[in-house]
Amino acid sequence: MVRIKSRYLLCEINVTDKSRLLLLDDRAVMTAVRTAVARIHGDYGAAQCIIGVSVKYMNAHTGMVFLRFPKRCYKLLWSALPFITCMETRGQKIPCFLNCLHVGGTIRTCQKFLIRYNTQQLHRLLPKCKNEDEKHVRTALLKCLLPGETRETSAEEADSEEDEVV
Amino acid sequence: MSVDVCEAPHCQLVCENSSFLDEENSLVSLVQQLHFNYKVSLLIPDCSSAPSHLDSVINSFSSFVLIKNMPVSEFIDKDFLETAVYPGSVCALSYRTRIGEDNCVALMPNGRLRLSLDRHSYHLLGIEGKVSKFRSKGRHIVSVDLTDSSMAPGGRGYDRLLSGLTCRLPLTSDFLLSHQQGVQSCLKSLLSRYDWSELRPEVSTKVLHQLTCPSDLGSCDAYSVMDWLGAVDAGISSSIGSSSSFLSTYTCPGPQRMATTALSISVSGFLLPHHVQILIMEVRQFLEQSSSPWASLTVHGFTDNVVSCCENEHGRLRGGVNFYTLLMSKGHDYKLLIVTGSHDSCSP
Amino acid sequence: MKGVSTQKKSTGYQRVVLKNSAPVLENESTRLSAVEFKQFIITGLKILYGEVGAALTFDVLKYDEDSRTAFLRVPSRGLVKLWSSLTLLGSYQDQACAFRILQVSPFLLALTGNSRELQLD
Repeated sequence: MVRIKSRYLLCEINVTDKSRLLLLDDRAVMTAVRTAVARIHGDYGAAQCIIGVSVKYMNAHTGMVFLRFPKRCYKLLWSALPFITCMETRGQKIPCFLNCLHVGGTIRTCQKFLIRYNTQQLHRLLPKCKNEDEKHVRTALLKCLLPGETRETSAEEADSEEDEVV
Repeated sequence: MSVDVCEAPHCQLVCENSSFLDEENSLVSLVQQLHFNYKVSLLIPDCSSAPSHLDSVINSFSSFVLIKNMPVSEFIDKDFLETAVYPGSVCALSYRTRIGEDNCVALMPNGRLRLSLDRHSYHLLGIEGKVSKFRSKGRHIVSVDLTDSSMAPGGRGYDRLLSGLTCRLPLTSDFLLSHQQGVQSCLKSLLSRYDWSELRPEVSTKVLHQLTCPSDLGSCDAYSVMDWLGAVDAGISSSIGSSSSFLSTYTCPGPQRMATTALSISVSGFLLPHHVQILIMEVRQFLEQSSSPWASLTVHGFTDNVVSCCENEHGRLRGGVNFYTLLMSKGHDYKLLIVTGSHDSCSP
Repeated sequence: MKGVSTQKKSTGYQRVVLKNSAPVLENESTRLSAVEFKQFIITGLKILYGEVGAALTFDVLKYDEDSRTAFLRVPSRGLVKLWSSLTLLGSYQDQACAFRILQVSPFLLALTGNSRELQLD
């Protein structure tokens, strides 16, 4: 069986004002990507951007985006992403930049990476907890996360061949 | 489907350092193997005028003939075979035929007739040939040795070729013809039947003043030497100098010096290897007597030539180039730079 | 006393030279200076390949204003980009124009001996 190969980029949208993140939607991201590619790579890049490019998933709360690019030209399109400095939505300009966290061959590997990444972030943040309530939440979280994490890593190795080596 | 926009055709540069005194030097055979030379250009620094004997050699390149609308079958005419092909001194090349598009014909002095035909013409001709290495789309190369016994008039192969070229595929073309002993005397009967004109190779002599040149040409790498010679030949050298200019960043390679005068001579036409050989000898002699540290001689082959060096097939597709440059220095050393496209086969 | 070396050009180094009969313009009276000519090509590169394309370094080695013929030099990596953008350049200041590539070679020296230029009659 032949399938159309794609590359999924897991990106994080960084904004200065967290509250404005909620204004963004996938269409705004898509437009920003298209404009950046057209500016950096001209008509040739814009043409590559027509088929097989989409925003697969967008979490406005955390600012996580899955971008789907065709495999044959993902490097070209990827190279334009750092040039995105702001996104426009509902007449507002939101200054932001994209931070690429992971490149994967399937959505599944990207999702796994995201879960692991979030866990790591959580581990980093939890020791900073101050009051009693937070500490309570922390212990509860650690309890349910730790076994989950080990299970996650063993499953990770099983289909690591789908992962893109960056 | 997208293609890689960063790809470019490759080509090969063969660099050979040797001496004229070396018995096994490949120079003589190389010069003899390239039958169809279009242009010879000579650059001698620190020299303002060519001495008379060099001048006379340059002007002694034999004239050639352009014959209009001649059928290819004339080459296997019995009379022509006896007067020109068997003695082995005639060279012919179809003129204004483009190798990728048209049927090209070449007759070499060793009596080989080579045709580069498209698929349709090849099938019409009905003589066995090889598929072209460079054009997979049905281009075929037919090579016939006219001196072979089966190709003698009356033989089976001969009859087949004759009927092929007269009845099935009556190929006509303009031809450039050259003969070592002079075309007119040897090929009188042929010329009387067609519209022809005799032409002399064009000689142009330029004296360049204040030429910036690399102080040690021998130590520069071959690519920059070639580029620099090309820049001088194309008349670019005058604007050389600034590496920060908007238009061009080309600069003379390596440490530079200023040559007050330099002599640049070029001869173009249909040139025989025999004369190139004589010219090389003459330049060598000249170098021994003069103050010039080196001299360079570049020989360009015909672009739409069916044959490249060593009788291999020549392909022009994607930057097929065939020329060689000879850098002669005082003493008997020389440096030979041969360029062939990746599509040309060449074994030095 | 005899050394033969065969080199295959590495991509980083190789230069390709184009000889290009430049804009065949509708209005023959329009003149282009060398600087305008280069700027025009850069514009073409920018349209087709964006800012990355416009940053491609190439040299106008020689430009003849009357025949509008130029020698361009470009690293081999940029050959396809430059060539394709020249092909797709269709207009200069609202008049139709076209580029004609006469010869392409990895060596500048090859451009001075093109037998197709041989005019005998």
